[in-house]
Amino acid sequence: MQTVTLTLREKNRIPIEADTISPDNFAGLSERDIEQIPLCLGNTQVFLGDIFEVVADGSDSAENVRIEINGDLSRIKRIGQRMSAGEIVINGNVDMHCGCSMTGGKITINGHADNWVGCEMKGGEITVNGNAKYYVGSGYRGESNGMSGGRIVVNGDVLDYLGEHMCGGEIVVTGNAGLLPGLSNNGGTIVIGGNTTMAAGEMKKGMIVIKGNLEEMLPIYREDGTEEFEGQTYRKFTGDVNVKGKGTLLVK
Amino acid sequence: MSELIIKNAAVCDPINGINCEKMDLAVKDGKIVENVSSGADVIDAGGRLTMAGAIDGHTHCAGKINLGRLMSPHDMRMNPVPGLSGLQEPTPYTRAQSGYNTPNTFALGYRYSKLGYTTLSEAAISMLSARHTHEEFESIPILDKWGLTLFGNNWHVMNYVRDEQPEKLAAYIAWGLKASRGFGVKVVNPGGGEAWGWGKNVTSLDDVVADFDVTPRQILMGLAEANEALRLPHSIHVHCNNLGKPGNYETTLETMKLMEGVKTTRDRQALHLAHLQFHSYGGNSWREFESATPQITDYINGADHLTFDMGQVIFGPAMTMTADGPLEYSNARMLHAKWSNKDVELEDGAGVVPIEYSPKSFVNAVQWAIGLELALMVEDPWKVMFTTDSPNGGSFVNYPEAFALLMSAKKRQQIIESLPNLAVDRMVLPGIDRELDFYELAVMTRGIQSKMFSMNNIGHLGVGADADIAVYDIIPDQIDPGTEHEKLKKAFSATSCTIKSGNVVVRDGEIVATPAGRTYWVNASGCVSNDVNEAAMKDIKNNFRRYYTVGIANYMVEDEYLPHPVEITTEVN
Amino acid sequence: MKVITDVVCPFCGSLCDDLTVKVEDNVITDIQRACILGHNKIAGVCLHERIESPMIRKDGELVEVTYEEAIEKAADILANSKRTLSYGWASTSCEAVSKAIQLAEETGSLIDSTANVCHGPTVLAVHEKGSPAASLGQVKNRADLVVFWGCNPVHAHPRHMSRYSTYARGFFTKKGRKARNIAVVDVRETDTSKLADKYVQVDPGCDYMLLNAIRSVINENEDVIPAQVAGIPKEEIIELATMLKEARFSCIFYGMGTTQSRSKYKNGDAVSSLLYDLNQYSKSVMIPMRGHYNVTGFGQVANWETGYPNAIDFNRRLAYYNPGETGASDVLLRGEVDSAIIAAADPGAHFAQEAVRCLAKVPMIQIDPYHNATTELADVVIPAAVVGVETEGTAYRMDSIPLRMKKLIDTTFKSDEEIVTDLIEKVREIKGGA
Repeated sequence: MQTVTLTLREKNRIPIEADTISPDNFAGLSERDIEQIPLCLGNTQVFLGDIFEVVADGSDSAENVRIEINGDLSRIKRIGQRMSAGEIVINGNVDMHCGCSMTGGKITINGHADNWVGCEMKGGEITVNGNAKYYVGSGYRGESNGMSGGRIVVNGDVLDYLGEHMCGGEIVVTGNAGLLPGLSNNGGTIVIGGNTTMAAGEMKKGMIVIKGNLEEMLPIYREDGTEEFEGQTYRKFTGDVNVKGKGTLLVK
Repeated sequence: MSELIIKNAAVCDPINGINCEKMDLAVKDGKIVENVSSGADVIDAGGRLTMAGAIDGHTHCAGKINLGRLMSPHDMRMNPVPGLSGLQEPTPYTRAQSGYNTPNTFALGYRYSKLGYTTLSEAAISMLSARHTHEEFESIPILDKWGLTLFGNNWHVMNYVRDEQPEKLAAYIAWGLKASRGFGVKVVNPGGGEAWGWGKNVTSLDDVVADFDVTPRQILMGLAEANEALRLPHSIHVHCNNLGKPGNYETTLETMKLMEGVKTTRDRQALHLAHLQFHSYGGNSWREFESATPQITDYINGADHLTFDMGQVIFGPAMTMTADGPLEYSNARMLHAKWSNKDVELEDGAGVVPIEYSPKSFVNAVQWAIGLELALMVEDPWKVMFTTDSPNGGSFVNYPEAFALLMSAKKRQQIIESLPNLAVDRMVLPGIDRELDFYELAVMTRGIQSKMFSMNNIGHLGVGADADIAVYDIIPDQIDPGTEHEKLKKAFSATSCTIKSGNVVVRDGEIVATPAGRTYWVNASGCVSNDVNEAAMKDIKNNFRRYYTVGIANYMVEDEYLPHPVEITTEVN
Repeated sequence: MKVITDVVCPFCGSLCDDLTVKVEDNVITDIQRACILGHNKIAGVCLHERIESPMIRKDGELVEVTYEEAIEKAADILANSKRTLSYGWASTSCEAVSKAIQLAEETGSLIDSTANVCHGPTVLAVHEKGSPAASLGQVKNRADLVVFWGCNPVHAHPRHMSRYSTYARGFFTKKGRKARNIAVVDVRETDTSKLADKYVQVDPGCDYMLLNAIRSVINENEDVIPAQVAGIPKEEIIELATMLKEARFSCIFYGMGTTQSRSKYKNGDAVSSLLYDLNQYSKSVMIPMRGHYNVTGFGQVANWETGYPNAIDFNRRLAYYNPGETGASDVLLRGEVDSAIIAAADPGAHFAQEAVRCLAKVPMIQIDPYHNATTELADVVIPAAVVGVETEGTAYRMDSIPLRMKKLIDTTFKSDEEIVTDLIEKVREIKGGA
C-alpha cells in the first residue's frame, strides 16, 4: 500500500492542469519525487511541491496507491485523467475534467465537481458527493463516443448535457439534471433521481430512467407499455424514432 | 549566390533515365547545375537514395479541407502516425501543429516536406471561393502549389456546350482560370452537380441535365476540346460520374473510350482519371460488390491517351471531401455520418463527410485492394500516379505505408490474410506478385507528374530543373524492399534531407527552415482571340448582373493573394 | 473627386459588394446603395469620435503617449502574463486575424472571437452534425421557400432580403417575391414576420422541441407528436413541415434567436439533423445570419492556422480547444485570466457584469478605431484604421465566400495588422532579452 496526501497550499485563480496527479504516475515514487512532478499553471510550469504539501507513505504499484487531496481544488483541472487503477479521494471542490478518459480505479469527490467529470471514461468509478456541472460522462468536441464504460454516481444535481454521446457504462444522478440529458445515447444507462427536461434526444440504444418529473417530453418517442425498474412501474417509451432508435426511456 | 553539392547520392531520376546511379548533384541559386565552385556547401548523401522532390498530383490541401477541419475538432488530437500527426508544439522553426486527416496549414507544409514532397496540386478550386484556396496556399509553408479549377457543372460551360460555341467555351475557361488563378480544368461528376442543385443526380453519360439540355458526355467532350484549344499544360482532370457505386466501372470505361477521339495539342495525355479506385467497382449492388480492376486495366493497358491516379484506401479514419455534392449526401446517409454540403451558385458544389475504412468491412477491404491492383496490373508505370486522394482514401501521412505495400508482396500478403474471406474472394490482389522497384515508384511520385502537368522544371534532377530534392535513409543496393518493408516505410516517413528550391528544409527528419512556397497559375488568354473574348465577356457580365451575388469586379482573385506567383502562358510564340 | 465602385460594405455578414463611394479631398462625400447601418459605419469614419492618439493609463487616467511607448507597454504586459485573453477580431481583416493568432501562439495566450457571444454555438453544431449549406446565390436563383428562424433581417441585415433571399430575382426565381414562400419562426412578431406568408410563434426556448417535432413529421412519425408542441398546434407543425417537404429548394436562415436561446447549439444541431432527413425528399440548406462582417473570416483563418475555429488556448503551447472552458466568457466569468488584449470588439458593453469585472481588474490592451465602454477599462489604448474604409483586407461573407475589402481614403492610423505585427516583434525582443 502507498498513501499520498496532498494539501493545497493556497487557492489559485489561474487554473492548474494536473493531469499528472494519478495513481499510475505516483506509484513507487517517494515524497520528494512526487514534489518534483510538473504541473502547468497558465503558460508556465510549476512543481507539485510548490502547490501542494505532500505527505507520502509506502511504495506500491498503481492499484495499491491511494491519493487523498485536501483543499479547494476548484481551479485544479484534470486530476485522475487516464488513471487505470488505485484510488483518489478529493476533500473539497474540484475543477474540470476530473477522471476524464480513466480506465479503472476509483475517484471520490467530497465536494462539487466542475464540467466534464468522467468525460470519455472507459472504466472505473467516480462518486461525486456534491453537484456536478455540464457534460458529465460525455465526449469532447466533435467526438461521437463519450463515456463507454465504468460508473459515475452524482449524489447531487448536474447541469446540462449529462452523458452526451455515451455508448456504455452507467451514470446515476440522485438529484436533478439540466437540459437534454442522454443526448445521442448509444448504449449507456442513465438514471436520474430528480427532475429534468428534453431527455434522450437521438438515443439509438441504451436506457434512460427518470424518477422525478420529465418537464418536457421530446416529440420523438413512441409509448410502448410499462416496465419495472427497481421495483417501480414506469411508462416505457422507445425511440428516438427519427434515428430509428431502439433506446428505452422510462418515465413516471 | 548560394551553391550546394550533394555528394555520393544514389540518384533515381526516371525522367532522365537514371536508375539509382551513384553521382553528385550540383545546385546553384535554387536550380540543378552542371557543377559548382569549390566553395559550395557540401552534403554527403553517403550512397542514400536520392530523388527529385515528390509531387502530389491530386490532394485536397486548401479550401474544402477547412470545412473538414470545422467538422472534426477531434481530428486535431488524433495521432495514429507519430511524428506526422496529432498535436505538436512549435519549435524555433515551426508553428504549432494539429491534426491527422485535416491538419492545419503549417502541419501540411512540414509533414509533406518530411516525406520528401515539394509540390502539391490541389484537386479542386471553387471559383467563387478561389481567394480562400489561395489564402490557404499562402499559409502552407515550404511547398509549391497549384490548383485545378472546377468547370464540370458551370452554367457558362453547359450553355456554351449546348449552344455549340466551342470558341466561347474556351474563352470562358481561359477567363475562369485567370479569375481563380487556376492551373487546369477539373471536372467532377459532370452534370451531377447541377442536378444536385435540386437534390438530384445523373447516373450515366447520357442523362440529360435538367434545364440545361446537355449530357455529361457532351460536357466532357466540350471541356476536353476547349482544354486542347487553349494548349493547357494539363489535360482535363476527371472525377467520373457514379463515383463509389457498385458497377460503376462501366461508366468509367465509357468515359475513357469517349476521350479516344480527343486530339491533344501538347505532348501529354488527353485525359486524367482521378482516384480510379473509387471508379473500378463491379457488381450490381453492395452485396455483389467486387473489384473490376481487370476490366479497367485491360482497357488501360491497350490505351495510350490517358493517365490515372490510384486513390488508394488506408485503413482507419479518413475524411471524404469532394465537389461531388450528391455523392457526399448519399455517403452520409449510408454511413450515418456528419454531413456538410456547400453548393456554389452557377458553378458547382462540395460535400464533406467523415469515413472509417475498416479491414473488417468486406467493402472497405476490397476498396483497399483495388487501389493496389490498379497500380500493379497496369504494365506501364508512366500511366499511374500514386495518390490516396488525400484525405479521401486516407491522409497523406500514410504514403510510406502504401509505398511499402506496392514494393512488398509479402507485406500485402500479411494484410490479405487478416481480411474477411468474402473480401478476398472479390479481389484479384492475392494473385499479384509484382513488386515495384525504386525506379517505378519514382515514376509514380515524380516522373509522371512532371509529364502529365507539362512541368518540365520539376519532378526530375536534370540540369536546369528546380533543386527540389529528397534524400532517403536507404542504400538502394543494401535493402530488400520485399522483406525489409518496415525499414523502407520508416525511411520514407522522414527524409534524411529535403531540399526545396536549393534550401535545406528537412534535416534528419526535422524541419530546419520554412521558406515560402510559390503558386503556379495558367494564363491561357493568349490562345483566345479578342473578338471571341469580347463576345464571351458579354455573356459572362450578363450572368453576373442577373444571377451572381457578387460583382464581377469583386470576383477576380487579386495579385495580393499570390505573393509568390509563377504565371504560365500557353500561346505559341 | 474620386468615385470608387464595387465597394464591399464592412458592416454585417451580408457583405454587400455593390456600393459606390465618392471621395473628395480624402473625405467620403457620398455613399450609394448602402443600407442605413452600412452607411453609418462608412460615413462614421469621418464623423464619430475616433481615438486620436495611443494612450496609457497613468494614475487612473488615460494619457496620450507615442505609438512606440504604447506598443512597448502592451508588449510588456503580454510578455509577463501567465494567462492572457486575446478577444474580438471579428470586425477586422483575415490578415490581421492571422497575425493575432501568431501573437497568441507566441505568448501562450487564449484567443477567441466575438462568435463567443453570437454564433459560437453554430460552430459547435457543425462539430456534431456538419454544415449542410450553400452560397447565397443558390437561394437567390433557386429557393422557392425561405425560412427565417430566430432572426430579423429587416433590421439586422437590411439588404439581405433584396439581394439574396426574399425578393431576390434569379434564374429559376424570375418573379422574385412571387416565386417563393417566406416562413418566419420566432418568439415574437417582428418586422420580418410581418412580411411572411407563414408565421409560427414558438414558445421562448422551445426551438429544439419544435425542430424535433418537424423532424418527426418529415420521417412520417406524426403519431408521436402531441396535440401541441412548443406552444404550436400539431396541425400547424405539420403545415410547416409540409411546406419544407414540398418545396423544390428551401433555405433555413437562422440567427441569434436560435443560437442564443435555451438549447443553444443543440438548436443548430437539430436544424442540421432536420436537413439530413429532409434532403431525401427535397433540396434544403441552412445558412447562419452572421452579424459582424468578418466573424466568419476569423473562424476560417483560425481553423486553417490552428485546426480550431475559435476559443483556442495556447497556454500549453499546443493548440487546445474546448468552448465552455476556453471561450472568452468562460474564462472571464471565472476571473481566471491575468491580462487581456481586445481588438475590434466591445466586451465592456456586451459581456455579463461578472466578466466585465474581471476585465477591469487585469491589465488590458485595447486596439480599436473608436472609444467604447471597453476603453474605460483599458490600460493601453492603440488606435487603429477602419478596415474596409481606411485599409484593405479579406473578409468572409456569412456563406463563407471571401471578398476583398477596399481602402477608400488615406489615414495616418496604423492597421490592426501592422499593430499586431509590431507587437509580435516587441514581445520577441522582450522575451529574447530575458
